[in-house]
Amino acid sequence: MDHPLSLKLASLSLVSQHKLECILSTCGNKIDFIIDPMLIKPLERICGVTWLRQHGVDKIYKMDPQLGATANTKRAYLIPACIQKYKCVLDQIASVLSLNPSLSETKCFHIIIVPKTMSTYDSILESKGLYDIVQLHSFSWELFNLDDQLLSLELPFLYKQVFVEQNQSLLSSIAMSLWSLFHVTGHPKCILSLGKVSSSVLDVLEVYKESYQRDFINLDKSQDFGSLIIMDRDQDYASSLLTPATYTGLLNEIFSINCGQLDLNVKETKIKKGKVNFTTEEKSDKKTVITLDSFTDTLYGEIKHRHFSEVLSVLSSKAKLLKNEDIKALGIQEMKDYVTTKLQQVTLFKHNLVNHVLACETIIAEMNNKFENLTQTECEMLNNRNKKGNYTYVDEHFGTDIHVYNSLRLMCLLSLTQGLSYDEYNSLVSKYLLAFGYKFLYVFNNLISAGLLVQPSSPKLSLNISHLSNLSERLPKWQTAFQNTANKLKQLPQTESENSPGYVFNGSYIPLVAALCNTLLTSESLLEVLNKLSPLNDLKVGGAVIDKQKIGMETLNEKLSNLSLNNLELSCKDAKTILKILKSDSKMNGGINIKPRTVLVYIIGGVTYAEIAACEVVQTITNSKIFIASDCVSSGSDVMAANV
Amino acid sequence: MDDDDYWNNSETKAKAFSFDDDVLSTQEILAIGQKPYSGQSNDVPFSSTIVNNTKRNLIPLNTLISPKVLDLIVLAQSGKDPKDKIPENIDTTVATLKRLILGRSCFLHVHRSLKSKTELLDGAVALGDGNAILSVVLFLIQTLNKKVVHELLSSRPLALNHYISYLRSECKITELTDLLTMLGRSPEAAVYQFQHIVKTQGNSVDGLLRKLNNVLSNHFNQPGIDTHSTKMLTDYIKLLEWQKYVNKTELNNKSVLECLTHCCQLHWHEGAGNMMSPLTLCQRQQITPLQYDWVVLNVHANSNKWDIVESLFTKKDWLGRTTVSSHIPIETLLSQLNELQASKRMMATCLNKIQNGDEKLRLAYKYKIHSVVIESLLKQKDRTALTNYKMTLSPQSEEYILAENTLREPSIKWKN
Repeated sequence: MDHPLSLKLASLSLVSQHKLECILSTCGNKIDFIIDPMLIKPLERICGVTWLRQHGVDKIYKMDPQLGATANTKRAYLIPACIQKYKCVLDQIASVLSLNPSLSETKCFHIIIVPKTMSTYDSILESKGLYDIVQLHSFSWELFNLDDQLLSLELPFLYKQVFVEQNQSLLSSIAMSLWSLFHVTGHPKCILSLGKVSSSVLDVLEVYKESYQRDFINLDKSQDFGSLIIMDRDQDYASSLLTPATYTGLLNEIFSINCGQLDLNVKETKIKKGKVNFTTEEKSDKKTVITLDSFTDTLYGEIKHRHFSEVLSVLSSKAKLLKNEDIKALGIQEMKDYVTTKLQQVTLFKHNLVNHVLACETIIAEMNNKFENLTQTECEMLNNRNKKGNYTYVDEHFGTDIHVYNSLRLMCLLSLTQGLSYDEYNSLVSKYLLAFGYKFLYVFNNLISAGLLVQPSSPKLSLNISHLSNLSERLPKWQTAFQNTANKLKQLPQTESENSPGYVFNGSYIPLVAALCNTLLTSESLLEVLNKLSPLNDLKVGGAVIDKQKIGMETLNEKLSNLSLNNLELSCKDAKTILKILKSDSKMNGGINIKPRTVLVYIIGGVTYAEIAACEVVQTITNSKIFIASDCVSSGSDVMAANV
Repeated sequence: MDDDDYWNNSETKAKAFSFDDDVLSTQEILAIGQKPYSGQSNDVPFSSTIVNNTKRNLIPLNTLISPKVLDLIVLAQSGKDPKDKIPENIDTTVATLKRLILGRSCFLHVHRSLKSKTELLDGAVALGDGNAILSVVLFLIQTLNKKVVHELLSSRPLALNHYISYLRSECKITELTDLLTMLGRSPEAAVYQFQHIVKTQGNSVDGLLRKLNNVLSNHFNQPGIDTHSTKMLTDYIKLLEWQKYVNKTELNNKSVLECLTHCCQLHWHEGAGNMMSPLTLCQRQQITPLQYDWVVLNVHANSNKWDIVESLFTKKDWLGRTTVSSHIPIETLLSQLNELQASKRMMATCLNKIQNGDEKLRLAYKYKIHSVVIESLLKQKDRTALTNYKMTLSPQSEEYILAENTLREPSIKWKN
């Protein structure tokens, strides 16, 4: 009865399909299905056109504000939970109604919102006089199994909402995705959460669990994941900002990737598009798509996490193998067998090989001379060395080859690791605005509120500080908060070692998730885990591991009714409190042995390919399985773009 | 081309990534594979191919999850009340909060006392679900007077942020400004006003000028506002005034450097007094010399006007030698010249500016500026290196002969 976990995760798409089927069944037949372009790729993973036709859809359109008359009167829109897009659809429906008022009686308008409708959507509907005329549906699709051990909710707008606008309206959708997932995999015994958003998600998850508690649910029947680590993106911005050195990491720097599909556009790369344009070049219209899934492309599976310097030689050796396969020597029968069994495979392999080589060539052409200086400077920043030189590098970069996202990214990294003075900060801001337009003045405020940039103190204040600067120089080793924590968690390798997860950033930084996984997988007890992770604030522990300790869990209702401000511990307990209890009580023996073999990592706000690769190293060293989940796979430039 | 030839002769050697020598050239791999595959065009709104799932035998749904649990999952998505459970007493704070989180309809109006409203707000904030927080905040706004709500919000930043985010998405910018001013956060209000203007005015120069002048005098000239932000806004207005004067649609609301690019392309020879002259724009907007040089270099090199580039970036010193003079740091300049396919002579002039001999040689190797390599090796009296270098040059080329003649020169005392 029990199936392999990978197959279970792949089959989640059937749950999504069933959820959509339930919605479509209430919409009736002969529907015009109008879909927002950004949802096309994810929907393709849930169902095909034939399936849609079998479930009442007649014609399919791309959502466009100018969309005119369509074939049928019944319309179902599929849009993401974005208020502007929602209003745009409502306007369109209103204009259809003004031409044909009798339609208001027929209940022929449906809006399906991914991942869910907000409470304000209802009042907007009401205020526009469309209540009861338009039906709203929430479509909370399940996590997509993009690649082996990689799950994504494919909601790329979530980072912007949660971390830039500080709007946590979609947290319940993340909680719900975990809640459904655990119906398939069982509940992890030990949960570590890092960051406020993550702990809220776990609290909401608790509400789901309790509200939908039924006799027939047995979440302990299988335990595919021993442990869950859930973390906010802003807990480790360095992993987003640094330039990755792995193949997939670099692919995501150069090409746009949507729902595991890479758009192999060698002419208009992300790097070229982000720079000031001095020429009028023609645009290419040829589209080549690579599906980044090691299940269908074994070659990709072999190279995806490699350091880029190795990739081309792997590709070359594969090509040599192909070259040596001499089919002329085959007899007729053998030839027949070859054609029926192997030819298709070989053709597919060749085609994948060609695409990966093209991608590599583009990476080399784009990163070329810059890569070495860039990664070297980043390394200096991380270790708080050569501050003046690093600033000069960034300043020069802003004055010359400035990039709309990547330059900001460097500025943020410098600000977070070594800080920027008032004048330095303003010099960079001025150059950026000259290059891309003063209209972007607000961007810097967004970066500050997202925690990516530290606002320097005003000139008056820095004058006072300059008196003290002599003093601080005399202190033995002055370190910024970043280096302090990173050093304690051993994230800044001082010597190059072979099997370090730090290879993803050329040996200069180990992503925090990899450090967390490593600690959890190598420690003997909860006490040891918490001791090692004590430099982290906002760390919480949950799951059966503390239930069993009787550290004090009440029911949801009790907790909520006795709630005291800022101290709600619904699902998780503060790690520092637990550490104290564990230390003081010798009978607990440092907490039970947790040692999970399979860990699920969930990053809220997008995971990077470098982090995924780093976790794979930890998985190999510790002989375990680490599954990665997030709301999307993002790159540093995506994080910047969300602030613009 | 032979494997080794490719790796020794092509540019690949000079690049940052080093590869094993025993690899095929990319051209060769491409030849072994087929022509690049071109996928289906993007015109079809929805492709009929299902990405990867059809190729795998998925677990049948009823085996994956029991039908009862599946019903529950669908129920949770819909946010409807379950039929098998009697709804809880809906006037308790906990029950209301749960209903809000689960997306079920609920009657906030039963919470009439301030105590009950405050509990609701605190509960929503503690749970952290944004949808619940915003619902409660909007309910409070409806039922309490402004002063009381603002007091409640000012001590609850998370709730306040959700309200701010709501006001922004609804474009209720006046209410937002009032709120932030009341809380003593007018600098933030100024930035939100600014952002609202640039997002709603599009590229209309007149509209932007009118609104931005307003926001400058009403919000950016107040104490507490960062002086640099005010300066940036003033510069923005100056630029828009310039754009209004030159009256070219393609330049409307374009950045300073984009405008400069335009001026360099089409008005290069106009004098400093003229509004379209690059120099005028440069002075008006205080473009840094570095940025100016960069734009000029790229514009003229891209349109193949190397004479202009040369006249700007090189000058004769008092000995009559040509030297490079630019604000662009020399290594960056070299790399960009190389990218723009400048002449070897230009590159050599640029290289000769570098004082440090080793550095010069390294860059000369990198960009294959043969004359400089030969000259540098001669200076170092390194016969072995020069002999080796000669081998890499194509026989009987100009550089080859130069290298050979240098090696034959009897007056040189070679160190090896």
